[in-house]
Amino acid sequence: MDVVLGIRLKDCTLIATSKSVTRGISVLKEDDDKTRILNEHNLIAFTGEAGDTVQFAEYIQANIQLYSMRENDIELSPKATASFVRNQLATSLRTRKPYQVNVLIGGFDTKTGKPTLNYIDYIGTQAILPYAAHGYAAFYCMSLLDKHYRPEMELNDGLKLLEMSIKELQTRMPMDFKGVIVKVIDKEGIRKIDV
Amino acid sequence: MAGLSFDNFQRNKFLVSKGFGQPMATSTGTTIVGCKFNGGVIIAADTRATAGSIVADKNCEKLHRLSPKIWCAGAGTAADTEMVTQLIASNLELHSLSQRRQPRVITALTLLKQHLFKYQGHLGAYLIVAGNDPTGAHLMSVQAHGSTDIGEYQSLGSGSLAAMAVLETGWKPNMTKEEAMKLCADAIESGIWNDLGSGSNVDLCVMEVGKDAELHRNYLTPNVRSEKLKSYKFDRGTTAVLRSSIHDVLDVEETVITFGNDAMEVDA
Amino acid sequence: MSDPSSINGGSALAMVGKDCVAIACDLRLGSQSLGLANNFEKIFKINDKVMMGLTGLASDVTTLHELFRFKNNLYELREERKIEPSTFANLVSSTLYEKRFGPWFTGPLVAGLDKHNKPFICGFDSIGCIDYAKDFVVSGTASDQLYGMCEGLYQPNLEPEDLFETISQSLLNAVDRDTLSGWGAIVYIITKDKVIKKVLRTRQD
Repeated sequence: MDVVLGIRLKDCTLIATSKSVTRGISVLKEDDDKTRILNEHNLIAFTGEAGDTVQFAEYIQANIQLYSMRENDIELSPKATASFVRNQLATSLRTRKPYQVNVLIGGFDTKTGKPTLNYIDYIGTQAILPYAAHGYAAFYCMSLLDKHYRPEMELNDGLKLLEMSIKELQTRMPMDFKGVIVKVIDKEGIRKIDV
Repeated sequence: MAGLSFDNFQRNKFLVSKGFGQPMATSTGTTIVGCKFNGGVIIAADTRATAGSIVADKNCEKLHRLSPKIWCAGAGTAADTEMVTQLIASNLELHSLSQRRQPRVITALTLLKQHLFKYQGHLGAYLIVAGNDPTGAHLMSVQAHGSTDIGEYQSLGSGSLAAMAVLETGWKPNMTKEEAMKLCADAIESGIWNDLGSGSNVDLCVMEVGKDAELHRNYLTPNVRSEKLKSYKFDRGTTAVLRSSIHDVLDVEETVITFGNDAMEVDA
Repeated sequence: MSDPSSINGGSALAMVGKDCVAIACDLRLGSQSLGLANNFEKIFKINDKVMMGLTGLASDVTTLHELFRFKNNLYELREERKIEPSTFANLVSSTLYEKRFGPWFTGPLVAGLDKHNKPFICGFDSIGCIDYAKDFVVSGTASDQLYGMCEGLYQPNLEPEDLFETISQSLLNAVDRDTLSGWGAIVYIITKDKVIKKVLRTRQD
């Protein structure tokens, strides 16, 4: 029951992931970071089958970085990054043991100067969305975000909206997910925000 | 590259294990028949294609050409009958070109049965193969697993029982072409009326010895839709439109300019 | 519910008019009951006079769109001409049948005008059986409803403006009876000298 949430704002994208790691009835970790930095302006957040998630995210991370090394330090755009990840998942689905990983990719396109948020699930469904969440958290958050989201929101308003969503999850989700790690992707790059 | 690719098979098995089912393929829940007569052979089919209980196509074509004088009627999974027929038609053409002989019905049947047997019944094609060749007129059938039959009259598909009842009642040795056409059409019609998987029209193909095959597309049309008595045309502007955009297409027109008969001037 | 073709939802249809064709789809992308996006177009341009609709599993819709764009690009490079709608239909058919024993979970449609500007439409099942139709073809989770609407409203030889109303009303009223379809709709009208795209106002429930 991991929480993975993303909101695209006026000039940045917010990604929030829950800090808990649970196996069965035990909480194993309470400061987990379910994101990996792909390049200066792309962040992947993931949930799914234990083991698959980190393995997949780090495989993507390595390949995106390899691309930049080979191609004369050209950074893959958010759109290209998302297409690559989708293609990997859609191809993996046809193998003996597919990756069962759902991801959000928060990015900032330095060419167009626009922030983006990509939703991709383990089947290979891809959608560019203003806000997105995976798993049960989506059922609680989407209605809130539908109601309060505005495309022109600044970072401060976005954080307030995020706080509202997390509060709702803490009230309604059956277990404690130990809070969230929040990261921002904007033209300056990727940074963690304390909440 | 060549042949069928099985890689999605594994993916779909995974999806099935996650509780997802298989999609519904269009099937020709069908009535097809064939009948020999004095001097040739006839095959006939209905024209309904179904997907479950939905009628997917009201006037599809189930009579396929394997070679100019060998035709076959298909029942079962629509895509399989179509693709298997196209493949065998190609191979038959290449075979007759390399052998410099007219293709034979038995050759077509053998190619079909060997292909279908190889796939162990997973290709759901049930076919009645008929035609004439240098050895005379022939009527045969092949089932999905690769077994074959030869007979004076045949019926296949979900309406085969209804059709066979008519064939058994009306068939006699040494029929004329007209008698056989009537018998085949009647047999298909009995499928159209009595079998849910069959419907719409009768297609018929006559292959007479020494003549070109004649395809009678929609030989009988007992289910013509009556014309609507009133129009359901909407007033323009009924539908609310949020945005509209137009993309202009440059239409290329070709005109052939003929030059004079004079030979082209060439520099010496 | 457990069918991959109905996880994401969505519907499309195509109709023939007088010297024109229309192709339309809804815009919903869902994950079972949860709506994810209301801008997921299921109609793709192949060239100026050929368009295709792809409904079913969204992953396969994206994959096949990319695959057909690739195959069409190769065709244009090799042949140095635009593909005819009937030729493209056969390309779709053989591409789908290649995966006979592990199909793509999608129900494509093709609509366009041929080199003589004669209308052409057809539909496919998931393994590439072509359904040639003179009037209309439907596909997607609201296909049953679409069959009913089209059978009732369709009439031949409609002018582009009238065809737009007929196809729009057929789609709108069909998707309103399907929980997995709706959330916006678009219609393309293809005539010999222009392609018109219209975004419809629809219910949002």
